[in-house]
Order: sequence, then structure tokens, then C-alpha cells
Amino acid sequence: MNTPDSERIGTGVSGLDEMLGGGLIRARPYVVSGTSGSGKTTLGIQFLHQGVKVGERALLVAIDEPPSEIRENVRALGWDVGKIRILDVHPSTKSFSKRVSVVEVAAQRTVGALREAGPSAKAEALKQVSPEISIQSLQLMLKQELQDVKYARIVIDSITSLKKLSEGMEDTKSSISSLLRYISESEVTALVITDLPDPAELEPEIFLCRGEIRLHKRMVSNRIDRFVTIEKLRGSDHDTLPRPMTLSEMGITVEPRRKISKASLRTLQAFTQYAP
Amino acid sequence: MTKEKVNTGVPGLDEMLDGGLIPGRAYVVSGTSGSGKTTLGIQFLLQGAIRGERVIYVCLDEPPNEIKRNMRSFGWDLGNVQVFDATPDVMNYDKTPVRDVSTERRVLYFKDVGDEIRKTPDYSPVDVTINTIQEVLKQEMKVRKYSRIVVDSLTSLRYFYIRTSEENSSMISFFRLMSDLGVTSLLTVQLPEIAKPDVEVHMSRGEIRLHKWIDGRGLVRGVTVEKLRGSGHDDRLRPMKITDKGIVVKTLNPVKESPENGSDPTVIQQSSQGKPEPVTAAPSRDSAPPAESNRDQTSTDTVSEKAANGESKDSGGRGA
Repeated sequence: MNTPDSERIGTGVSGLDEMLGGGLIRARPYVVSGTSGSGKTTLGIQFLHQGVKVGERALLVAIDEPPSEIRENVRALGWDVGKIRILDVHPSTKSFSKRVSVVEVAAQRTVGALREAGPSAKAEALKQVSPEISIQSLQLMLKQELQDVKYARIVIDSITSLKKLSEGMEDTKSSISSLLRYISESEVTALVITDLPDPAELEPEIFLCRGEIRLHKRMVSNRIDRFVTIEKLRGSDHDTLPRPMTLSEMGITVEPRRKISKASLRTLQAFTQYAP
Repeated sequence: MTKEKVNTGVPGLDEMLDGGLIPGRAYVVSGTSGSGKTTLGIQFLLQGAIRGERVIYVCLDEPPNEIKRNMRSFGWDLGNVQVFDATPDVMNYDKTPVRDVSTERRVLYFKDVGDEIRKTPDYSPVDVTINTIQEVLKQEMKVRKYSRIVVDSLTSLRYFYIRTSEENSSMISFFRLMSDLGVTSLLTVQLPEIAKPDVEVHMSRGEIRLHKWIDGRGLVRGVTVEKLRGSGHDDRLRPMKITDKGIVVKTLNPVKESPENGSDPTVIQQSSQGKPEPVTAAPSRDSAPPAESNRDQTSTDTVSEKAANGESKDSGGRGA
């Protein structure tokens, strides 16, 4: 079941690449899911950082956190992430004074290298134009941005927030399908960050993505235990067991050969699909 | 039955279906993501292609270039399978959307599918509706008599092509079309981790459900025949494997871990998907004393409530 290596790209976490059977297949969208604090954003940054290291262009679409905060957090990890570009769609810049059409919003996009992201850099300017942030407007912003720069990797952090912002404004199912399709057609490998999906719901981003990496954080015997599972990966063999993961000042590491403890496995089985 | 049954191409599954599927009817293949629905569909088509039948694959989820690439790992030759790429285009959020339904979409052989994704045309994305898809299929059936069709997935058809208000009637009309065409069809349905019955399943003449879960040995797969009109069928959960030659079902003995109540398929489904009774089930199978380890378990997550429920004795609340 081996495929040529040129088709795969590294996630920046070598243990995870091993679980994925050599990395992610290029130019497809993937989901990273997990509860808050499980390391999704860190994995996203690590993925982009890996791209920059091998000379690719990488873009972070920041919705949950303003870029300046992300930069600070990442600095704490000691990485030089200056080359990661960032598309600031953080909704704090939104005001209700004036509505602008979607097309104008696209012209208002701000992309800066992560290095330049200062405290409330363009917030003032953006406040005045009050863009409505939605899945549709993000697609338009990306379209403009991709015309200028050929990106190989994109992280959207997070699609859950983006969906909430778009609720009531558009048919989110179709817009998500369209956004992911647009990213695929642009031959960009994307990590789409989401909250842990509701097991009773079928979220379009989950079933449209070609793979899902799930990060778990559980309290097991008085300490936080972390592990990672590959829920699906189209067109590739992958590890089907949960593997231990650590989140430290070095970023994320995964031990692909070790099994998680029995106690952890039981918590996992207790409320995930990993049962009976 | 007077007519000969249609082989699915999956060793073991035909046995479960008492010889195969009744020709000319629409069947549902359901399962969570990664359970093997697409693989089963392609295997079903290849079986027909090998016998010289005309077969067609309607793509709605993944673009055909990716399907072609993904199926390479099985060493299958999809060359003679025809494909209709109905994956939704990138939407063009212009103020004056172009509404004319395109005639550009055509059916082609998998061997003519390139390595790259079909690009949305610049001038206007093709506005495909469920009607377009139905028209194309009707046209195609006139030109070439297909005997097998796979629609992958019906869920996407419903999500991206059908307005919510028309959901049920559109689905019913789609099933009607399938039976009017007289073609044996497999329609895939994506299930959430906790499944609830939906209109597709009621409309189908049979449902093959694919299961996967994790136990101490790793990933385990199984298959059940949930219903099969006009035919006897196996009512037990059977172990299934996705090998490098495709899906194989073992029929000699049922999956050992399967819940015992084989007579009610919905019970099998729920418990093998895990939600309602994993707590009572899982630790005992682990052959480890559940009591002392469970006491320490709490969760800092947003799902802590679920955890709390899960750890208590009556775990039946969710999804019941």
C-alpha cells in the first residue's frame, strides 16, 4: 500500500507522520479535532512551521485568537515562525456601524508575516469598515490572497468559530463544501481545526475532509493524559490505535510505537466510538 | 425468486444476502466515515465490469481523481467503470449568479480521469441540482444500459443539492427514479457516530451496514444486513476485513465481541457503535476490575458531563 513520497507532506510531528503512514497526502483538506486545550492550534502551527522549514509558503487563518496573541504563544515555544503568514479574521475587529458587502471585505484582508503582528495592528482600521466574517467572505479573501502568493499549506483556526459567525447568514453546509473545494482546487494542503464533533451530528467538514486527526485530553488518575487517534485517512494505511502524545515547550511529540495505558484506554472507550 | 441475484463482489457478503441483491432495486450501504462504504461500492461495480456489464459511479463526496488514486492501493483496474463527477463546484458569490444549468458535465471512464482535481470554470460555476443529476442519469441510461450504479454519497446529495424544505420528497423521488431506471443501485449513507434512522433507509429495499470500533486488539470491522426486502438474509454481525484485495466478509462465525441480541439489528448497531452501553460492556471485556480505576476518572474537558454520565451505572441516557 505504499505510495511515492513526493505525494506526502510532513506534519512537523514525526511520530504523527508515522501514524499517518508517511504523512498527509498533498492537496487535500484534513480535520484536526479536539477539546479546548488539547493542542490543536499548536499542531497547526507546527504543521505550518514544517512547511516553512522546507521552503513552502504557509498561511494561518486566525479566527479564534488575534495574531498578536498567537505570536506570543508561539514565541513561548521558542520557534522562529516569522515566515508563517497570517490572515487576520479575528472578529474582535468587528463593529456594527456600517455593513460592507462581501466583495469589499475581501479587499480589506490583512495578511502579514507573523513577525509583524503587533498588538492590535490593524484593528483600528478594520473597526471602521466592520467586515462581516463568514465562510463565504473567507473564501473570497483566500481567493485574493492565493492570487498573489502560492501557498502549500493553510491552517484554518477554527472552522467551528467560523461556522458560528456565519450562522443565519448563509447555508453553512454548502459554503463549507465550497471553501474546502476551493482549497483543494488550489492544490493547498489544509488543516481545518474543529471542536470535538458531536457524535450524534454529521458535520459537513468532518465527512468532506479526507482525514481526521483527533487530539484527546483526559484526566486519568489525577493527571492530564494526552493521546492522539487517526479517525480516518483516505487512500492510505494508517495507525488505528490511540498513541500517547506530549505537549511541551518543544511542541507536540507523538510516540507511535507505544500503547496508551489501560486506564487511558478505558476513559477513551467510555465516551467515544471506541467501544465495545 | 425468479430472477438471478446480483453478486456484490464481496466474498462472504453474498452469502449473508442469501445469494446477493435482487436486481433492479436500490440498496443503502451505511456506516461511519472510514467504515469502507466507498470501497464496497467500487468493489460492487468492478464485479459487474468483470462480467462485462456497464457500470457507473456517481461521485458526490470525493473527486474522481482522488477515488482513482485511493483505489490504487487495491491494485484494481477501474478503467472500464464510468464515472459521473457531480462533486459540487466552488461557489462564486457574485451578485448576479449565472443560473443556466450546464450541459458540460459528462460521464467518462475512470481511465480518462486525470490526476488533478477538476477545476471550477472561471466564468461561472456549474449549477448542478438534484434535477440535473437525475436528468444526466436518465440520459445515460438511454444511451448505455447500465446494470449497476453507485451513488457516493446520498448524504452529500442531500446536504448540498436538496433544499431542506424539499428533503423528503426529493429523496423519495430519487429512489423512485432509481427503481424506474431498473438498475441495481448501491447508495452510500454517511452515519454519525450515534446513528439515527433516516428517510433514505426507509426508502431503500435493503440496507447493508458497515461497523467499526476499537477493542483491545485494535480496529475491528463488522457488517450487518439490516434489511433486505423479498429475501431471507443473515441477521448476525459478521466480521469484515479490508485487505489489500478489498473487502472480505467472514461468514463462518459471527464476531465474538458482538452483542448477543442478534435478532434486533438496531441493538447491534447501537452497541457496536458504542454509545449506550460501553461502560457496562467495555471494562468487563477488558477482564480488569473496573471499580477502582473508574473512581479516579474525571474530565476537564467540555465533555465532562458526558464522562460523568458515562461512568455512572445507567449509561443509557445518551442516544437512547
